Amino acid sequence: MKLLEMNHVKKDFKDLSVLKDISLEVNEGEVVAILGPSGSGKSTLLRCATLLETMDEGSLAYCGTPATVNTDGGKTEYVGKNELKELKNNFGLVFQNFNLFPHYSVLKNVTDAPIHVQKRDKDEVIAEARELLKKVGLEEKEDSYPCQLSGGQQQRVAIARALAMNPKMLFFDEPTSALDPEITAGILKVLRDLADEKMTMIIVTHEIAFARKVADRVIFMDGGVIVEEGKPEDVIDNPSNERTKAFLQKLS
Amino acid sequence: MKQRTYMKKLLLCMAVISMITGVFLTGCGEKSQTDSVSDGTFTVGFDAEFPPYGYKDDSGEYVGFDLDLAQEVCNRNGWTLVKQPIDWNSKDMELSSGTIDCIWNGFTMNGREADYTWSSAYVDNSQVVIVKSDSGIKELKDLAGKVVIVQADSSALSALEGEDAEEENLQLASTFKMLQQVSDYNSAFMNLESGSADAICMDIGVANYELEARGNKFAMLSDHISSEEYGIGFKKGNTQLRDQVQESLNEMLADGTFDQVAAKWGLEDSVCLGQAGKDAVMKAETSDGVKESSFGTRFTEIMKSLSTGMLATLGIFFLTLIFSLPLGLLITFIRMSKVTVLRWIAKIYISIMRGTPLMLQLLVVFFGPYYLFGISLSYSYRFYAVIIGFALNYAAYFAEIYRAGIEGVPVGQYEAAEVLGYSKTQTFCKIVFPQMVKRVMPPVTNEVITLVKDTSLAFALAYTEMFTLAKQVAASQASIMPLFVAGVFYYIFNFLVAWIMELIEKKLQYYR
Repeated sequence: MKLLEMNHVKKDFKDLSVLKDISLEVNEGEVVAILGPSGSGKSTLLRCATLLETMDEGSLAYCGTPATVNTDGGKTEYVGKNELKELKNNFGLVFQNFNLFPHYSVLKNVTDAPIHVQKRDKDEVIAEARELLKKVGLEEKEDSYPCQLSGGQQQRVAIARALAMNPKMLFFDEPTSALDPEITAGILKVLRDLADEKMTMIIVTHEIAFARKVADRVIFMDGGVIVEEGKPEDVIDNPSNERTKAFLQKLS
Repeated sequence: MKQRTYMKKLLLCMAVISMITGVFLTGCGEKSQTDSVSDGTFTVGFDAEFPPYGYKDDSGEYVGFDLDLAQEVCNRNGWTLVKQPIDWNSKDMELSSGTIDCIWNGFTMNGREADYTWSSAYVDNSQVVIVKSDSGIKELKDLAGKVVIVQADSSALSALEGEDAEEENLQLASTFKMLQQVSDYNSAFMNLESGSADAICMDIGVANYELEARGNKFAMLSDHISSEEYGIGFKKGNTQLRDQVQESLNEMLADGTFDQVAAKWGLEDSVCLGQAGKDAVMKAETSDGVKESSFGTRFTEIMKSLSTGMLATLGIFFLTLIFSLPLGLLITFIRMSKVTVLRWIAKIYISIMRGTPLMLQLLVVFFGPYYLFGISLSYSYRFYAVIIGFALNYAAYFAEIYRAGIEGVPVGQYEAAEVLGYSKTQTFCKIVFPQMVKRVMPPVTNEVITLVKDTSLAFALAYTEMFTLAKQVAASQASIMPLFVAGVFYYIFNFLVAWIMELIEKKLQYYR
């Protein structure tokens, strides 16, 4: 089943064309890594996919349910507010800067939205949240506040917070870019575990090695278009496109 | 441990207060002696809103009967006249500190005989009652149940409820619904005209002048309340200067200059200089010291007389906060609205509230309904006007503080809330508002402390809060102690406010 379908997405910021006709489909259980230099449009693509940014043109659907009205190539129109809210249950997003709520404890960060947005049973949510915190290795930190945690710990809370909403897929926006290299490994381990559990993930990242190990598919973006796409061993080890080659060379 | 630090702070506070007290009281002991006009200038203190004795005319000059007399006295002695307008409540401080040489301004001698060194009486004045022509009030007994206005510390006030008031007048005053004090006659007439008061008691000379200037909207009752005499008041014991001035006055009377000046101001029927017995007070002056009571008894007496003012100040303070804190949030929402027109309305509102004096805003709130819409004002509106004026003004400041606080919340917080599916209301109430509160605590503390001190501006509407009362008590006791007590009250009040705000800030310190 296709969990995410984006077709012919275009997005301009003033005169700058950031996304030029991009299409992306993600199947259930698939791990997709999006690589590319700064300004290539990968973050904007992610923000359009998570409804933080509106597309100028193109269509978007989650799990087969459209989030946009079919307008035959004209300007994108989204479905109603309530439908969009419903569609948001399909995905979670982990930010580069974590964006935890500083005034909530770790446990409240994880449980507040399931209890007050999804209106689920409180005790059940708390029990589930403790499981998730255990899974990311923070079972002893549930009463701490974000400011008392390291960056890596905060990012693991953010992942637990996203997972507590029981999403069908998770987006990651450069989840390790704000962290020290030695802490990065802990986060990547959590992502590996999630991949093993067949969690569908779309990860914007700079970690080439990680993308090679975990991703089922790698997308290389530059200048607002998808330059190359395929299995990691093809795109990363044997890039056919010059721009991909140049980018990978600079990193290695 | 925490308790100990608070105790320490409290002790420190006490120490500071007692130090200030010490400095203050020693300062008061060293009064400078300026008995004669040493540097050739003769400084006359007067209330600049007391025509025809002393006031500002249309061209902005201080003029009046008393000032003309003073000028003539200076001419005859080769002095330069300095016309110093003073706040009537502060006249004793001005005189004792030597910043003015005398009070020469339709200054009533009756009841104040022992407080000053007096010239001989030069005007015989009576207290009369002014009402609206169409009010239906014809004689003194019609004033029962009415709101009557007098100027603070005026002879009308002492005639009606002073220590030396006649029994008849005390009884009359007891029939009033309220004897309201205002700071000047202009606001007295504004009160009368707008319906928030029914009558004004004032000196006949002033009344004649005001009636002529304001047309036939007002009328004077034919019954007079009392008669009294005006003299020139010098600092107690300064007979040297008094004798010099009196001598010149006598010369002026002898050569006819005095009567000319009186005729110029239409006072020829009131003047009494040189008449038999008018120099009785001057001649009777004895050198008794002012009776001293112990510091403790005076302090408690002052506290007692100031207690209603303290309650009024606390009332203004808390009610203003209760209304302005939420109102500020509402204005912030309008200010940050997506609708351009609303945003501009809030912007203009804030700009006006911050760009004009609070005192003026209070006057507009109080008198606006009458002068703009012709709505007659009830007496109780005075208090509401104070609260409305303060709340509207402070809400504007709070709105801008809140806005800064809201804009300081990182955009990532909104995005995280959006992805998690929070509604707009949930996002504000659960995520943004608590973080905003923490951010705005220091500037809000500043505003709250300013509010404590700003409550004294309620005097503009003749609402008797702490400071107005302190000035009145200071004037009637001819002492600065009440003002000092008021200062201590404000300081302790603010000390508590700052302490409580600090506690709240500490409570919010559990996260960054």
